[in-house]
Amino acid sequence: MTNEARQAILSSIRSHLATSVPYDKRELSLHHANPENNPAILSKQASASLVETFKANLITVGAHCVIAQTDADIASALTRIISALQKTPIRAQRIAISDAPQIEHLLHQTDLEIEELAIAPNASDIFSFDVGITSTQAAIAETGTLVLDSTRERHRLVSLVPPVHIAIVDASKIYETLGEALAFIHKTEMSPAVTFVTGPSRTADIELTLTIGVHGPQELYVIINGST
Amino acid sequence: MNPLSSETFGENAKAALADVQLRGALKYATSLFGERRKEAAEGLSNWEGLRTQARAIKDEALLHLDRYLEEFVSNAEACGAQVHWARDAAEANSIICRLSKDARTIVKSKSMTTEETHLNHALEAAGVQVVETDLGEYIIQLAEETPSHIIAPAIHKTRRQVADLFTAELGTPATDDIAQLTRIARTTLRDRFAAADVGISGVNFGVAETGTIVIVENEGNIRLTTSVPKMHIAVMGIEKVVPRFADLDVFLKLLPRSATGQRSSTYQSFITGVKRQPTAEGPEELHIVLLDNGRSRLLAHPVTRQSLACLRCGACLNACPVYQQIGGHAYGSVYPGPIGAVITPQLMGIEKTAQLPYASSLCGACREVCPVKIDIPRLLLHLRSEIAPRKGSTTERLAFKMWGRVMTSPMLYKLSSIAGRIVQRVIPISKAWTKGRDLRPIESKSFHELWND
Amino acid sequence: MKVSLFVTCLVDQLWTSIGLSSVEVLRRVGCEVEFDKRQTCCAQPAFNTGYRDEARQVARRFISIFEESKADAIVSPSGSCTAMVHHYPELFADDPEWLERAQKVAAKTHELSSFLIRILKVEDVGASWNGRLTWHDACHGLRDLNIKSEPRTLIRNVRGAEFVELEHADACCGFGGTFSVKYPEISVAILDQKIEAIDRAGVQAVVSGDASCLMQIGGRLSRKGSKVRAMHLAELLASK
Repeated sequence: MTNEARQAILSSIRSHLATSVPYDKRELSLHHANPENNPAILSKQASASLVETFKANLITVGAHCVIAQTDADIASALTRIISALQKTPIRAQRIAISDAPQIEHLLHQTDLEIEELAIAPNASDIFSFDVGITSTQAAIAETGTLVLDSTRERHRLVSLVPPVHIAIVDASKIYETLGEALAFIHKTEMSPAVTFVTGPSRTADIELTLTIGVHGPQELYVIINGST
Repeated sequence: MNPLSSETFGENAKAALADVQLRGALKYATSLFGERRKEAAEGLSNWEGLRTQARAIKDEALLHLDRYLEEFVSNAEACGAQVHWARDAAEANSIICRLSKDARTIVKSKSMTTEETHLNHALEAAGVQVVETDLGEYIIQLAEETPSHIIAPAIHKTRRQVADLFTAELGTPATDDIAQLTRIARTTLRDRFAAADVGISGVNFGVAETGTIVIVENEGNIRLTTSVPKMHIAVMGIEKVVPRFADLDVFLKLLPRSATGQRSSTYQSFITGVKRQPTAEGPEELHIVLLDNGRSRLLAHPVTRQSLACLRCGACLNACPVYQQIGGHAYGSVYPGPIGAVITPQLMGIEKTAQLPYASSLCGACREVCPVKIDIPRLLLHLRSEIAPRKGSTTERLAFKMWGRVMTSPMLYKLSSIAGRIVQRVIPISKAWTKGRDLRPIESKSFHELWND
Repeated sequence: MKVSLFVTCLVDQLWTSIGLSSVEVLRRVGCEVEFDKRQTCCAQPAFNTGYRDEARQVARRFISIFEESKADAIVSPSGSCTAMVHHYPELFADDPEWLERAQKVAAKTHELSSFLIRILKVEDVGASWNGRLTWHDACHGLRDLNIKSEPRTLIRNVRGAEFVELEHADACCGFGGTFSVKYPEISVAILDQKIEAIDRAGVQAVVSGDASCLMQIGGRLSRKGSKVRAMHLAELLASK
């Protein structure tokens, strides 16, 4: 059934393209199309480092950003963020983390009191968690984007479902441009799911008024690990 | 509420013009979108070069569409995706109904292609409940309406109207606060996401080189729709294919800026097949439904083929002086605005859609903002040249035949100008003009007559 | 320089002062102006409504008349008519003989302000007009012919004229040929945005390069009892 449809569609494409040939020739005598090959350049801030550019763009898109130089710094950043959240309706008592080993290690370095900690809970459980903590595989400075590759870390749901997402980014894995990040994820064996995350979730569907926090996280905290 | 028909476009437009609230909403939305798009384009030092490049890539993809589609399918299948081909809307719906027949809960993210096939109606007729999860689509689903804009489906509704809708359909307390309304939608839909067996999405780009489908969004509902349920069904128009993975660099810069003025959509999902390990996260099954539904016909001429380059960004809607006044519903078609005026007659045939290509002053603002440089005015003129000889009224056809004779004979031209002077004095010419505007009287002496050698 | 005037059917029948002013301005800057009385129309109405056979018929007449001219340029006080002539090659895409003839004539055809600035390199035509005025960018001139800075340069050199940039000067006036009578309510709704902007500009005149836009704008201004005058660029430039 679908093979019949496949043949019909491909053959329709071929026959209509064939019809087009004389008209395409006439087009050439009327117009001259010279496609340029100019990768666009975002307006750059003069001589800012990748980390600074990344941080500035994170803030522009509504994420929070902290630069940490040591593991201890990261742990204390985590502590500050989570204890502050614990005083809000978010509660931050049920924390889901990805399976990246350093995350669990970091959490144990804090002396946070939480009700529950789970590593990459599955779909039927993840919806009851308040905070998700993950690392990232790369980042993009020019847009403040996180790159999450689902084959390298189990963070697909942890980074999406809880209302708060805390992401730890290796400074050495920050690319400048979208093009570089695309090249990074373009492998002979593609990962089944890669996600680029730029800021917390948002919508402007009602009266074009921007609201932060729809179906994805409402808050995004990024801790840049500058020690790498 | 039955959607309006494109056959009654003239009446629809008049009704829309009388809707003060709609016009206010449109003015606000289109000018805001327009300003943001302009600022975002100016933030790139080579916006024009990018547009040219994007169009060149699309032209290449379309000129070899069969080859790139086969490459896409082969690579997607090699990674575990199941690809289905649908010649038309009915076939696409029937495939999707069959795949989801055992589902108890289906979540769906925004997809204009599924609006085109009227998928939700088909699913409901098959006894399957499906819930739209994009906030704007969720709102219009509750209201039983159709989208009025490609990007912001509920742009025509005030917060008050949304609040009343939520109160009526969900029993939630009345509130004017947009953040609260959003939270209501989030909470209500959360349970559906958690319980969903099937997630249906659209596709922004299908990469031939890798078999990857790319979907972009701001809300997070697409990520949820495509990661939580066991089955993901992705509906993709055949024209969405791009040749190489690196080509995405161009489109992912153009699309968010053109649509909402953002430098990047909040979430961009790159999905290639299904998980390689059964214990990994994500769906067990990925079904890609490729839809033709008339698109392949458009390949037959360079002027019509460019319609297929459309990224569905909505920029042309925001720039169009006609859309700005009447909104999307008046077009009576799934795709409104300038792009709708050209693809609807081509996909649906001109029988019921003949008015749409005439719903334009040919100002060209759409062509200026189109990220892939579709020459919509040229397309409109092309369609008019197919419609007029076949569907023009006898009066009109005769009038232009006469006009041709008058304009090619200096004597007839002179006589008609004298006749015109008399006629204008005796008969009130064109009420259509004079209803709102004064009409200049014909000169008592034409320039021809005034000219002294 | 010898110029052959294409006055356009609209100007010929409904607004002769635009034609007279164009001749005045061209002569003032040293051109010899010829007017071929056989001329009628550029074929835009038929082309825009979808009657290409009739459009070709009239286009052939235009081409046959004007290709005989020994003038250096064909000049028209209309952006939309000039743009139509530039579309002639598309009308004859599958007729190599007429295609070539069309391309030759199109290459010689210029809109007035574009001719003055780009070809003659004249920015000051010795005009004077006292008052506050603004400019409306007619769509075809702006988007098909890239005419934007030329009229503004010419206007800025008009002695006594105070030029004010119109908000959304490049927004369509809503005319669109037969669109104005096929969908008059939409046409007027679009027009009213332009009228409101003109109101806010507080000017005595709105100037444009296309008689069709001026009829649309002027027709609404007078219906609303406005004192603002709709004036063609040629009329302004001919003023002393």
